[in-house]
Amino acid sequence: MKPQRVKTIRQLPIDGQALKRLIEAGLTWLRTNQQTVNSLNVFPVPDGDTGTNMVLTMQAAMDEISNSHETNFGKMAHSVAHGALMGARGNSGVILSQLWRGFARAVDHQEILDSALLAHGFALARDTAYKGVVRPVEGTILTVSKDIAAAAEKAEKYAIDPFDVLDEVVKEADLSVQRTPDLLAVLKEAGVVDAGGKGLFYILDGMLRFANGLPLDTALTTVQPLAAMTFENSLEAIEPGQDFEVVVDFQPANSLDLESFYSQLQEMGTSIQVGEGEGIYRMHIHVPTEKLYEPINYTRSLGTITKVSIENLIAQMEALGASKGSGGLTLAPVEPGQIAVVAVSPGSGISRVFASLGVAAIVEGGQTMNPSTQEIINAFENLPTDQVIILPNNKNIILAAQAAAGLTVKKVAVVPSRTIPQGLAAMMRLAPDNEFDEVVQEMTEALDSVESGEITTATRSVEIDGVAVQEGQTIALHNGQLVLAANSVEEACLGLLEKAHADHFELVTMFYGTDMPKTEVNRIADIVRDAYPEQEVEIQEGGQPHYQFIIAIE
Amino acid sequence: MGHIAIVTDSTADIPEELAERHNIHVVPNILVIDGRSLEDGRGISRQEFYASLPNMKAFPSTATASSGTYQHLYGRLFQEGFEQIISIHAASLLSGIFNAASLAAQAFGECVHVIDSHYVTLGLGFQALAAAEAALHESLESILALIEDVRRRVRVVAMLDTLEYVRRSGRVSWARAHLGELLQIKPLVEIRSGKVFRLGEERTRRKGIERLLRHLRDLGKLERLAILHTNAEDEALRILGELRSDLPAQSFCVNVTPIIGAHVGPNGLGFAAVIR
Repeated sequence: MKPQRVKTIRQLPIDGQALKRLIEAGLTWLRTNQQTVNSLNVFPVPDGDTGTNMVLTMQAAMDEISNSHETNFGKMAHSVAHGALMGARGNSGVILSQLWRGFARAVDHQEILDSALLAHGFALARDTAYKGVVRPVEGTILTVSKDIAAAAEKAEKYAIDPFDVLDEVVKEADLSVQRTPDLLAVLKEAGVVDAGGKGLFYILDGMLRFANGLPLDTALTTVQPLAAMTFENSLEAIEPGQDFEVVVDFQPANSLDLESFYSQLQEMGTSIQVGEGEGIYRMHIHVPTEKLYEPINYTRSLGTITKVSIENLIAQMEALGASKGSGGLTLAPVEPGQIAVVAVSPGSGISRVFASLGVAAIVEGGQTMNPSTQEIINAFENLPTDQVIILPNNKNIILAAQAAAGLTVKKVAVVPSRTIPQGLAAMMRLAPDNEFDEVVQEMTEALDSVESGEITTATRSVEIDGVAVQEGQTIALHNGQLVLAANSVEEACLGLLEKAHADHFELVTMFYGTDMPKTEVNRIADIVRDAYPEQEVEIQEGGQPHYQFIIAIE
Repeated sequence: MGHIAIVTDSTADIPEELAERHNIHVVPNILVIDGRSLEDGRGISRQEFYASLPNMKAFPSTATASSGTYQHLYGRLFQEGFEQIISIHAASLLSGIFNAASLAAQAFGECVHVIDSHYVTLGLGFQALAAAEAALHESLESILALIEDVRRRVRVVAMLDTLEYVRRSGRVSWARAHLGELLQIKPLVEIRSGKVFRLGEERTRRKGIERLLRHLRDLGKLERLAILHTNAEDEALRILGELRSDLPAQSFCVNVTPIIGAHVGPNGLGFAAVIR
């Protein structure tokens, strides 16, 4: 991105190839700031990361056009929209794909983008995104899309070229994002701005920075709250040069110069994250084998190291491959004409239970890894029936499931399960030979027949719904609402069961996660059985990450 | 005495006094417990059977009465002066009874009409009862038509207290395919056209019974109703009591024959109903 290139892109007509470069710029800038967007998490739970979801959605759009020589702007925009839709992950990814869809419609078959067309594009993008959501909520990416459409309309009247419009749009996006906490109480309570809106800002800002010749690949130095750092290694995606993951906790001797800290680390490796909490800094980096000790030695030159952790990612990936191969899962055979169910599951034990209830296909995913629209489609496209029901089992996967339903010739319905217990309750109502609409209705009605509990560790300190949470505490969610913070898993379990009035129910099923040792599970199960002698308590291996327990009360 | 005899088998679950009143000839099936062969209804009561079922060393097996038994009965009925016999039996897809009876009927030419009811327990029983009620004054053709008419209107739905027995019996393919990871599970099933269909599951007994009742209420007005159970008489009577105002003239509770109940297990609940 050298200055002379600036002149080029701002002076040349904006055709299909220019759009490709702008998309790439938007994606690059979003990726650079991915962790910042991820850290804008309202709930203190390990959640589907908005930044990651939006990057993967934009990446899918980029993949769709990366080899295209199309010069027609409108046609290229449609390819972008298609790629985004197929790759959409999480609610923010789906809404982003809807924005692109509306934009593409506005520029249908247009050779070149001009200011008026761009303003029209933002307007249709806004309309399409609002229509794509059943109950639009203000203070989100939707509001930002509305505000920038208005700004574009105003700017278009005196703009000389589309970048003048984009200038105003980016300014307004920034302001609009800052206003989101005034519109959405949960944001204000959590002290954050809307993550999806912020992601949209970075995409547009990236395009503008590209046009202005500003760098896109060096992060504006970002520091996250320590507890918000999650090193979710999507292991399939490990590239050469990412042999080891190194995490160093340290106390800098002097105040840390983030700019130079980042640039030094960039010489050594990738996937750099820096977190800070109570004077301790945490640095995360992926490095090739030969540079394994460089980040440690470098950090030591800056202050006192308190902790170092090194993980061999290659070995982990191999182990994962092996366990995937052996983990046999017997899925329900489906006959033509029968109803097949596709369920999203975060863990092997939960997958087995879904399979035992007659699920025909499993999509791996959940809280921390939202599957894409395409992954959901792939799961059912080859089933020998054209009647399919999707159970997303997570509130952040419902939209992607609905997008998948709209992209196939098969008859597909989404039963909007927001938790694993809801998904299991719905599954109980599956009668694969009955009439489709009736079964969908039955399964949807079943969602409210169970109380859902989730036990996890708070990723940061916050106060929500009157519950004060300290980072690192165990927290309990009842039907998706934060209800208490506790100092142990057992305390959280008992507190949750009390809040859910488990004594009025018959059966408590506890799915334990990967980070729960079996002895600890048994000990807690005994405590729960003692506290609820009238209730049946069933313990199941869930295999989910991050959540010590997922609990069904019915 | 009419000129048409009605024969069925013990899987029809027709209460004894009703069978006697309507002169229905019921052929007992065979139950094999720990190597001992018993005629259904003799040697062990239904209550005793279900109470001891969970502790039986070997899974009890069942057998149909022999072709010879049917042939002997048909011969005796013709000797008694009947001119035609309607012999109606458990779904041929679920049991060999229909085959045994058909084989026996061959000796009597056109005079024995062996019918596959496509149902078991009172799903079959109500077809036989309707036939017997009409046998006194209706023609053979209209009785056969009536049986088909009742068959179209009969519904049999049940809640199993556990998957264990139906899976062990190996008669239902989906029960083998789905390995029942969850310990607490109450499958709901429906018999239709001689096959057992899965209607889904519930996690608790209370919800299972609620769902069963919902299926029953969805049927609307009824002509006949039997609440079926396997040693869950209190709950069956309670259900009957709750339905009191909506009950058809013919309604009763039945502790289901061990021939079927061995595959269901104790504490199952269900219904057989004929829609008006």
